[in-house]
Amino acid sequence: MITKIITTLTLLLFSLAVFAQKEPVKVDKGYKVEIKTSAVCEMCKEAIESDLVFEKGVKEVNLDVDTKILTVVYKEKKTSADKIRKRVTEVGYHADDMKRDPEAYDNLPMCCKDGAHDDDGH
Amino acid sequence: MNFTKYLLTLLSLVSTTLLMGQTISGMVAGQNHEPLIGATVLEENTQNGIVTDVNGKFSFKLNNPESNIVISYTGYETKTLNPDGSGPFHIMLSPSEEALDEVVVTASSTFMDKLESKHVEVITAGELAKAACCNLSESFETNASVDVSYTDAVSGAKTIRMLGLDGRYVQINKENAPHVRGLIGRYGLSYVPGTWIQSIDVGKGAGTVVNGYESMSGQLNVELKKPENSEKLYLNAYINSFGRVEVNANHATNLTDKWSTGLLLHTNYLGTEIDGNDDGFMDLPKSRQINFMNRYKYNGERLKSQIGIQIMRDEKAGGQLGYDFGEDFQTSPEYGFMNQTTRAEVFGKVGVLFPSKPYQGLGFIYSGTFTDIDAGFGRDAYSGKEKTLYGNLIYQNIIGNSFHQYKAGVSLLYDDFDEVYADSTFARTEVVPGAYFEYSYLPGDDFSLILGNRVDFHNLYGAFYTPRLHTRYAFNENTAIRLAIGRGYRVGNPLVENINSLVSSRQFVVTEELDPEISWNMGGSITSTLHIGNKKVDLVGDYFYTSFENQLIYDMDQNSSQVMIYNLDGQSYAHSFQVEAKYQMNEFFGFKTAYKYYDVRTTIDNQLRRIPYISRDRLFLNASYATRYDKWKADATLQWYGTKRLPSTNDKPAEFQVSKTTPDFFLLNAQVSRGFRWGNIYLGAENLLSFKQDNPIIDAENPFGNDFDASLVWAPIAGRVIYAGIKYRIER
Repeated sequence: MITKIITTLTLLLFSLAVFAQKEPVKVDKGYKVEIKTSAVCEMCKEAIESDLVFEKGVKEVNLDVDTKILTVVYKEKKTSADKIRKRVTEVGYHADDMKRDPEAYDNLPMCCKDGAHDDDGH
Repeated sequence: MNFTKYLLTLLSLVSTTLLMGQTISGMVAGQNHEPLIGATVLEENTQNGIVTDVNGKFSFKLNNPESNIVISYTGYETKTLNPDGSGPFHIMLSPSEEALDEVVVTASSTFMDKLESKHVEVITAGELAKAACCNLSESFETNASVDVSYTDAVSGAKTIRMLGLDGRYVQINKENAPHVRGLIGRYGLSYVPGTWIQSIDVGKGAGTVVNGYESMSGQLNVELKKPENSEKLYLNAYINSFGRVEVNANHATNLTDKWSTGLLLHTNYLGTEIDGNDDGFMDLPKSRQINFMNRYKYNGERLKSQIGIQIMRDEKAGGQLGYDFGEDFQTSPEYGFMNQTTRAEVFGKVGVLFPSKPYQGLGFIYSGTFTDIDAGFGRDAYSGKEKTLYGNLIYQNIIGNSFHQYKAGVSLLYDDFDEVYADSTFARTEVVPGAYFEYSYLPGDDFSLILGNRVDFHNLYGAFYTPRLHTRYAFNENTAIRLAIGRGYRVGNPLVENINSLVSSRQFVVTEELDPEISWNMGGSITSTLHIGNKKVDLVGDYFYTSFENQLIYDMDQNSSQVMIYNLDGQSYAHSFQVEAKYQMNEFFGFKTAYKYYDVRTTIDNQLRRIPYISRDRLFLNASYATRYDKWKADATLQWYGTKRLPSTNDKPAEFQVSKTTPDFFLLNAQVSRGFRWGNIYLGAENLLSFKQDNPIIDAENPFGNDFDASLVWAPIAGRVIYAGIKYRIER
């Protein structure tokens, strides 16, 4: 229980900090980048992951719905962090500083739209 | 970021430590605030819960105050919510969209509906994709309950078996209307293209009385791709190492917010002559097919309706090398096998809903079919015409509350047959009105009972009384037992059901007036989920016993130059036993294994004998691999067939006799697939070990002689087949 409270407080502190775009880091299978997205639910997770998994050069994708952080492992020779961010915007979501494609956003299911999940997390 | 959210989280964390085992209460109501009696309220992922009382009220204690509660009621959408506090809650349920649809549809793999009273497995689109080729007869490759076998060495047709019994005892429906039966009872499986199929329900034992009296050993219900939710465009092209080419195109679109339409197209072509065993006969016939279906669906609040049309033309030309499409088999120098089937069907459904009473409904399922077959077997011609009309009016409602539900209805089958073989004509018209009542007692999640009764009045054979009983009891959330008993009837079509024997020198001898086939089927299954560490193993064991009051005996033992056809005089039964285990090792690997035991005996020539072509023992092994979102998929199925008995050939000259039993053998199928955003490409092999039956045709050099017989087939004729294909889809 204590750890849960500490985690919550830590998250609270982080959310107040100024957000900064993360640089890719070298890992075993290539490079790993963490991208902040505007995903709000499990359906968004599936939409982003099921698209990015087929992106050229992408080895692994995982989106954490709670933190909205998309973690991608990729081959630096075949793609780049910016190409991956661009693809996320084409699915209909913000990716770090890059704004989402408005047309793609319009086509998202209702539950993935702004305000669909308000403050109670549903 | 919202500060109050975190404050609330902190507060709730504190409060949960103080309140353990909270009692919650409330009321469940429909859209007009009318109380729903007998709705189930459960703590999520547990068996803890209660059923609402006569005022729709409930009150029970949560084991874990943080749990969600799940509220469900027949005919309504199931609702899950987090009861923040103790209530009382006023929970409103909205009517389910699919209130009248009889089947469950999901996106991935095979599953058994845990709450279903009948023993039904659902083969889903994901599972069907593993058998890349080509039609309904090949859709059961990764399923252990349905056996697929070869009919003869010339037509290339495959048939299915369940519970060790011939496929004619399986009722094969398309969206709950009769489909593969009558004159297309043998070849009809190849008239349903695989890419049209959305899912298949496989039911073992006697089925529901709502669908008629015919399901004797089991029933299959094929659901095709739906206009309202299928891909906008789906294209598939397939080619295999024999030179067979297939193209499929599906299209579905919404015309208005209520109307939708779906178009399904299929064509296949095989023009190559394949003769791997050098007996001068094609191992499988040349073939070509065009198949078209279009339907319109209306989805209103009070009325749901659809109407569709299907037109199919299939041609086959086989037999000795050189025989071709369009050649006159009666004068050709070669022994020719020819089959030209044309079929047209109009089908539809109408459903009337009562928005304020979602448990109530009125449905009408109808179809009209015309089938025309022209066929040739050596010098003998066969032609058959069948006109079928079918209508089934179903009313469903509850008695008092949803503990007691029923379906009642009336049906009519009109079936007109006109067959000519060699010099003989066979014609009959069946008119069968029927009525049924099926009562379901559903007091909760752990017990259910369905009692069905139907009476049909056959114009030729008098009254058929069909009682059926299904029951299910769940010992706990992991283990359930199902029991079923029921009677079944069917009227045989001896010519088409022995179509394999037409490719032989055998004469058909019908020794008496033939009666309808009547059987009793009883049995049951136990399903259990074992938890080993954090892994799950699903186990299914089932046993079914089928006993015939009357059966048409197609006797190929008495005389190797005849097929003798007569009514059963003595015992005829089938014991079928199967155990199956499923294990998902991790995110990527899954395994399935099954063992089957069949003891099928019937009285042939006054002797109780094992029926031919059935392996007493069979083993089934399947391994699958899939990465996330099916980027890579691989699948392999290995089947072992124990020895089978063959019909007696003792009275033939020594050089034309075949052994009494076959050797055992293995068949291996495998496939890999790579997914893309737009679809996937696949590569696979059937019969990878290339097991073939040696000399499947007796006296192949002399096809017009007295010893020729191409019907004694117990294994694949052609060897390994490699195939590749591509699927392209545009979602809506």
